[in-house]
Amino acid sequence: MVEQTSQTITQKTPLLAELKKGSSDFSSLVQQLTETVGKEGVLYDAQELLVYECDGYIVDKNAPDIVVFPTSTEQVSKIVKLCNQYNVPFLARGAGTSLSGGCLPIGGGVMIVLTRMKQILEINLRDRYAIVEPGMVNLHLTNALKGTGYHYAPDPSSQGACTIGGNIATNSGGPHTLKYGVTTNHVLGLEAVLPDGSIIELGGPTAEVPGYDLHGLYVGNEGTFGICTKAIVRLTRDPESHRTMLAVFQTIADATRAISEMIAAGIIPSALEMMDQGIIEAVEEAFHFGFPLDAGAVLLIEVDGLEIALDEEVRQILKICNACNVREIQRADTPEERLLIWKSRKQAFGAIGRLSPSYCTQDGVVPRTRLPEILEFIEETSKRYGLKIVNVFHAGDGNVHPILLFDERDQEQIQKVLEASEEILEKCLELGGSVTGEHGIGVEKINFMSRIFNQTDLDAMESVRNIFNPRQICSRDKVLPPIQSDEKSTVKQSHPTRHAPH
Amino acid sequence: MSSTQSDSLEEFIPASQTELSRFMTDNAATSQKQIFPVGGRTSLSVCCASSLSGIQVCTSQLNRVIDYPVRDMTITVEAGMRIDHLNEIVSAEGQRLPVDVPQSNRATLGGIIATNTSGPKRFSYGTIRDYVIGTSAVDGSGNLFKSGGRVVKNVAGYDLKKMLVGSLGSLAIISQVSLNLRPKPETLSMVWFTFDSYQKIDRALEALTTSGTRPTAIEYCNSKAAKQIAAESRFELPCENDVICISYEGSNNEVHWQTNKIIEEWKEFSPLSAQIVDSDHATRLYNAFVEYQTSSDDPVTLKAVVLPSQMLEFVEAATELNIAVQAHAADGIVFGHLPDSASSLEDVKHILNRLKKEPSLQTGYLTIYQCESEWAEALPLFCSSPPGWSIMREMKNAFDPHQLLNSRRFAELVET
Repeated sequence: MVEQTSQTITQKTPLLAELKKGSSDFSSLVQQLTETVGKEGVLYDAQELLVYECDGYIVDKNAPDIVVFPTSTEQVSKIVKLCNQYNVPFLARGAGTSLSGGCLPIGGGVMIVLTRMKQILEINLRDRYAIVEPGMVNLHLTNALKGTGYHYAPDPSSQGACTIGGNIATNSGGPHTLKYGVTTNHVLGLEAVLPDGSIIELGGPTAEVPGYDLHGLYVGNEGTFGICTKAIVRLTRDPESHRTMLAVFQTIADATRAISEMIAAGIIPSALEMMDQGIIEAVEEAFHFGFPLDAGAVLLIEVDGLEIALDEEVRQILKICNACNVREIQRADTPEERLLIWKSRKQAFGAIGRLSPSYCTQDGVVPRTRLPEILEFIEETSKRYGLKIVNVFHAGDGNVHPILLFDERDQEQIQKVLEASEEILEKCLELGGSVTGEHGIGVEKINFMSRIFNQTDLDAMESVRNIFNPRQICSRDKVLPPIQSDEKSTVKQSHPTRHAPH
Repeated sequence: MSSTQSDSLEEFIPASQTELSRFMTDNAATSQKQIFPVGGRTSLSVCCASSLSGIQVCTSQLNRVIDYPVRDMTITVEAGMRIDHLNEIVSAEGQRLPVDVPQSNRATLGGIIATNTSGPKRFSYGTIRDYVIGTSAVDGSGNLFKSGGRVVKNVAGYDLKKMLVGSLGSLAIISQVSLNLRPKPETLSMVWFTFDSYQKIDRALEALTTSGTRPTAIEYCNSKAAKQIAAESRFELPCENDVICISYEGSNNEVHWQTNKIIEEWKEFSPLSAQIVDSDHATRLYNAFVEYQTSSDDPVTLKAVVLPSQMLEFVEAATELNIAVQAHAADGIVFGHLPDSASSLEDVKHILNRLKKEPSLQTGYLTIYQCESEWAEALPLFCSSPPGWSIMREMKNAFDPHQLLNSRRFAELVET
């Protein structure tokens, strides 16, 4: 729920104009937007706008007043300049898979949807980069690279839908980021339209540029620094080979000990994903993979690299798993079997629908060695609130995704979900972690910012935001606790319910 | 805390982040003297701190381990910790920070972040920006602010730690750093090759993009640099021609397989000579490559960053100007020590002007990596404006409103 914080923030947000439907300003803006992108590129019918009232985080909803679909940087720049001219807020949206309300149009205004800017502008294998437009779907880039020996490494689980621009906005992670790093490690440069409409380039295709690392700073800004209109991303060599395994453990404690031992032994798998008993049951019921229903946890372990080195690595992993009381290990011997194992992980969310009418996914992080404690706390919380909570997550990174199951028609359960989520995230902080590993702050976790950072830290962040976005006209009231102003937030909580897969 | 004064440059050595913050706050409020942050003093000729008057703030006492949860493979230390000391601590646990640092016995962690120092291994492991997961720093007004945290995955708030990488101490003094660590490999080996033409070298380098091997570093040096590297490493590197050295790390098994494989793969490019360097010699030779960027007594060292596919073109032009050149070939990063004949500022400017016309610099950058202090004020650090220069200036004003941190130099970074 979006709330005002108790912090004293002296700077005041300039009042932005309300777009009143039917007013001459509204008509004039629509007309100029239509002249910019064509009639088929503008929506302002109330029914059509409902599609854009939220992203994957649907606790809070608010429809924009106008949605516009540009096809070029110049069009984005012109749209932004028009928004400045009419003093109305605006924000960018890709596929809308954000899970923290990053695409929530607070205060209404103009939503700039970038899904028509989806071209690959250049692939350069010798210099190991590609230039893409922001609306490019993550997986489409890797598909386009098939057969070249290269791929784009960041692979959020929603990679079949999410866009590169959105990944840059949230600094997305994914299952393979344990070894290959998150989005920021793979962005060399970008082009952006700043909130005043000017076009800027940051970084570039070369390995580095002199001066401050502005493109590094830009990644993860959650849409508050402007609109990314081009991305220069690093391409990564395909591994020669993989080994993929499913290790079945009797208890979560044994599984988490195995994770810790692997990392301590210097083994960095390319993926290390955990599913607990609740998820195993759901997945098994839906897909019949043959998982034992009485197992406490299953680890999906993948290592990749040179064929000559992998068997030794697998041998070490098996030794560690055995020492941690593994019950059985299934190994993929063919590409088809590997895909099947990954299917069990990637379709876990689809299977949850069998357990509950609604669910809410959290995104806490703890140091890897504190996984047993947070999982135990999640279990206690589940009992205390009488809520079923299941877990499927990126164990190698300590990035937990407790999924709280409930019925959205029951107001009492909704309240319990909100309170239990907050307690779990508080515990992550207490254990030395964070409240978001890959979904972002958005509006969902904005009240946690003042618990993670002190006022000086927040002031430093705010001074950076003010350089890019001094009027907060672009993606307002995200990431940092809102600046106090006379304006009333038009956002209201509706209901927590399903979230898109992360 | 201790404080000394010699000539026009005072020195302040804080013993804690709080002391550093208090000192900076007081300075901003009262004397507003120029501040020059220093760690191991290995990069003074980059920022030219010693030639100006003001206060050197030295981080040498900020050198403690704050937290080292070994099994999490992360460490939090104060920024004045020397790199060799850091490596000693983590190496005992079979871990390392996989960033090459010249003069690592003196260089500090805060210093290598501020100067964005990297070496040959950046090709496979990335640079320091990829390992910093959290920072604390004190800005020009004395504000102690943090960014990130101590977990390997965290997207809470803006990534302010990135802006400090390569900031040359002009925004804030880095006081504490959390790092992601990696396992130490079992062994290192190298293979060197020489060729009789740039064309063959170019074809061989291009073939590396689809090689069956996975090099950790690909180093190139012209014959002049090869002589210096051979002398430094006491290894008989062939010096009549340009040399390519490819390094591999990992288990003995995989390294052995790869060194043989690359020799097999590159036979089709008819090298003049090729040799596998065994592990002991490879370490010595590798270290000489790491140190080369700062090893020269020559008055000016240049750094060019170009696309890898244009690296040879730039090297050819630099070689014609009698510059000793080493390049991280697959990253397009070239270091060049100017010849003794460049004995005057005019000579240096003449060479810079020649190089700046190189087509490879259309998409690349040329910087003065190091130079003698008497020339530093006459030479811009960056030979062209980096993208986002106007935003960089605003950031400078926001984090150092009194223009106290390495400021005179900052204003002159870019040639106008």
